[in-house]
Amino acid sequence: MKLLLFLCPLLLAVASVSSRAADATAKFRATLVEAILSEDVDKQVELVNQLVDAEDELIARGLTAWRASELYVHSPASGAKAPFLLDVQPGVVGDSKGIRLFDGTPVLDPTGKPLTFNASSLTPVDNSSKLRKAIKTALDLFAIGNRDPHLRRDAVTKLGQARIAEYVPFFERRMKIETDKEVIRSLGEAVALTRATDADPKVRLGAISQLGELRSINSIDFLRELDTECKLNPAKYGEDTGRLVHSVVLQLENYIRWGTLVGTAFRGVSLSAVLLVAALGLAITFGLMGVINMAHGEVMAVGAYTAYAVQCLFGNGLLFSIFGYQVSLKGAGFSGGFFDVYFLVALVASFVTAALVGLGLERGIIRFLYKRPLESLLATWGVSLVLQQLFRHTFGAANVQVDAPGFLQGSLVVSDIAFAYNRIFIIGFAVFIVFGAWLLLTKTSLGLQIRAVMQNRAMASCLGVRTDRVNMMTFALGSGLAGVAGACMSQIANVGPSLGQSYIVDCFMIVVLGGVGNLVGTVSASAGVGVTNQVLEPWLGAVLGKITVLVAIILFLQWRPSGLFVTRSRSLDG
Amino acid sequence: MKLNLKSLFTGIAATAIVWSASAAETVKVGVLHSLSGTMAISETSLKDVLLFTFDEINKSGGVMGKMIEPVVVDPASNWPLFAEKAEELLVKDKVSVVFGCWTSVSRKSVLPKFEQHNGLLFYPVQYEGEELSKNIFYTAEAVNQQAIPAVAYMLAEGKKKFYLVGSDYVYPRTTNKILKKYLQMKGIPESDIIEIYTPFGHTDYQTIVAQIKKFAGGGNACVISTLNGDTNVPFFKEFANAGLTSENCPVVSFSISEDEFRGLPAKQLAGHLGCWTYFMSVKTPENDKFVGDFMSWIKDPKVTGTSYKVSGVDPKGRVTCSPMNLSRMGVHLWKQAVEKAGSFDVDKVRVALIGQKFKGPVAEVTMQENHHLINNVFIGETLPTGQFKVIKTFKDVAAEPFSDMFLK
Repeated sequence: MKLLLFLCPLLLAVASVSSRAADATAKFRATLVEAILSEDVDKQVELVNQLVDAEDELIARGLTAWRASELYVHSPASGAKAPFLLDVQPGVVGDSKGIRLFDGTPVLDPTGKPLTFNASSLTPVDNSSKLRKAIKTALDLFAIGNRDPHLRRDAVTKLGQARIAEYVPFFERRMKIETDKEVIRSLGEAVALTRATDADPKVRLGAISQLGELRSINSIDFLRELDTECKLNPAKYGEDTGRLVHSVVLQLENYIRWGTLVGTAFRGVSLSAVLLVAALGLAITFGLMGVINMAHGEVMAVGAYTAYAVQCLFGNGLLFSIFGYQVSLKGAGFSGGFFDVYFLVALVASFVTAALVGLGLERGIIRFLYKRPLESLLATWGVSLVLQQLFRHTFGAANVQVDAPGFLQGSLVVSDIAFAYNRIFIIGFAVFIVFGAWLLLTKTSLGLQIRAVMQNRAMASCLGVRTDRVNMMTFALGSGLAGVAGACMSQIANVGPSLGQSYIVDCFMIVVLGGVGNLVGTVSASAGVGVTNQVLEPWLGAVLGKITVLVAIILFLQWRPSGLFVTRSRSLDG
Repeated sequence: MKLNLKSLFTGIAATAIVWSASAAETVKVGVLHSLSGTMAISETSLKDVLLFTFDEINKSGGVMGKMIEPVVVDPASNWPLFAEKAEELLVKDKVSVVFGCWTSVSRKSVLPKFEQHNGLLFYPVQYEGEELSKNIFYTAEAVNQQAIPAVAYMLAEGKKKFYLVGSDYVYPRTTNKILKKYLQMKGIPESDIIEIYTPFGHTDYQTIVAQIKKFAGGGNACVISTLNGDTNVPFFKEFANAGLTSENCPVVSFSISEDEFRGLPAKQLAGHLGCWTYFMSVKTPENDKFVGDFMSWIKDPKVTGTSYKVSGVDPKGRVTCSPMNLSRMGVHLWKQAVEKAGSFDVDKVRVALIGQKFKGPVAEVTMQENHHLINNVFIGETLPTGQFKVIKTFKDVAAEPFSDMFLK
């Protein structure tokens, strides 16, 4: 009994504390609901600012959803409007329950059953950039405690840039429990940045030299300003600070220069990879077979459209028209990881489709023109026009959207240099297909036959090689490679009827520069052109840079008309 | 061969106008928009909205009792062909007025023809100004109705560094020259303005985006884009991949309207800004009517069928946008002026046009003496749905084609 008497006030106290916390949470939630339903942007911003201290999962979710346009309002026939977000379960396709922001309970219909919604049929609550900024600040302060270290780091960096002394205790508190190295670095940077103009010279000098040690690129603008300020007004912070700031600025500028150099090199390699992927198919059809294939670009577009079709079949379905007849195919409705697989399927499918188109082209037209290169030029050009018009009629004149799969979005950041995943993928892919083409040409019997036929058709034929069949296979291979290139390009450029035209000139340029008739030349030419282009672009601009590269190529071809690597073969000489 | 081709073209044009042979009295009106080639994507929509407007006017009794008879020609995105087709319209077909042109270079190439034959042209697409012909009426946004308000808005938002990127031709270059002067006037130092151009159809924006990323490190930078057409796709893809967003570095695009949006990745563009004198999303009864009427017109089987004047009207996923609205208002202004002048004579209509008012979907416009409109200007934020949400409105901005008039 005594114990109970003793416990009673304790329990009451606990209850009152928790109910007070619940009160506070309820108040914050009410504020959020008010903000969402308000029509006035300034008021919304003000209300969102009040939410900064709310330590509530639901509010964080609500704000995140609002910012991403995934927040909706339920307006029942009777009763107040209730903002809600969708309780989407990962991996589950279909409708989901709505969660009311006011108290976290599901949205019910008048009979008391939970309602389900589909995001595509709802209108999200409006937001504007001003509001999103306010939401972001609130989330930033939330986000110091976020589970995702990337978000944590972004939040800290952003708060550090604001240089508000009140934040420092939060940073230091976090630093003690933080485990992620990057976040610790950002926290250090934020603290140092805030203290770089501290009244105490010791703290100041320590902070500035720490910024140098951390190689804090984010603070370069601030340090430059500080440097000028110290020069103009040496008395303000003292000579020591001035000297230190200047040396740190120099140190950081040096670091940035290295970063730029590596960045340029990466961009050069990535452009080279793009050119290589695009030109490899042509290197086979034009380079090895000697067919001036003006439809190469359109075969690339076949690949790109195949990627689009595969994407639609994995997603919401495909609608197109063939000669005026509407065809509608139902999609699988995948999302998330399953959907992302579409791209790998698309790569294979685009190879097959384009190879089949190439096969048809070779059988139907080109095989009659092997001895007449100029006529093959005109014929394939005609084919390219027909294909372009076909794309227009089938998929419409406007460009179509090929979404990037999740794993190709964003970038990998190493020492402040961003390497975009789609670029990394294309570099890897270029290496892969060049290696594949090399293996095929040098290590397989088909490759042996291809090389034999290209070098001396008559002799190969005498020795029992079915040259007709080899021609067909080679052209199909080249076209297939063009198709894969198209699927790859869908990740970085437009997919439209004129996709091919934007690449055809570059492709011929690469193959001719590399020297007709071998792959090594194509690889080196694309590497040369890509890197030169990227090195020149920051100095000369995109237009003049491209002109300079073209002039350089023309001059080079004057000096060596057969390109970088000369292959001697009777068929080519003949 | 050449002669044959020409007669073929005229043949096509002739079949195109056969439909109206039964109408008692008609007035011929020229439509000069590219229906093939690179510009077709944008200009076809203007051809469609013009035909819609002609039907709209014909249904309510025509112009001074005469039915409008469109003569549609296809200059095929080929600038010299624009001049040829313009001459053909003026001399052979003797049209009373021409509605047409999209790019500035096409307008510049037809201008001498219109002055030589004393024709009348209505030009509906935002342009760089610095031009005033007595034979052209510009319903288009002048620089001070689009670029200047947009930049003023960014300045008011606290942006201090400006990255001007554009396609390499006359409109971006002139606009950026004016903007640069304007920014310097507002106290932005030369070092905080970067001006960059890329060729048409450029696909590699790595260097430019890396530069923007460095430039925007401090968080107070924005991009002013005059990139044209589908070069926007690789640009915005690269932009999003580099981790840049509308919050840390907004992009204001002058060449992306709802219509261009249809071919762009909406998700990656969401949150960036646009500035026009019309948005499809503006809620007014007049705009609801315009959008509704246009959408039902375009889905009419009579219109999409091959028997219509010009077949090939595509009813899928259509929107309305500023150049379309300005095209339509041009037709109405011309109709009112003709009725005021009581004649189709170009010299009389030209005089009657000045001071002509028209209540458009989102604003009442007035034709000024400088052949440009007084119109409302909106700044809008792009939504993932491909529409714009209006975040700022400037009322009754009087267009001023010559930059030295507003850069004082």
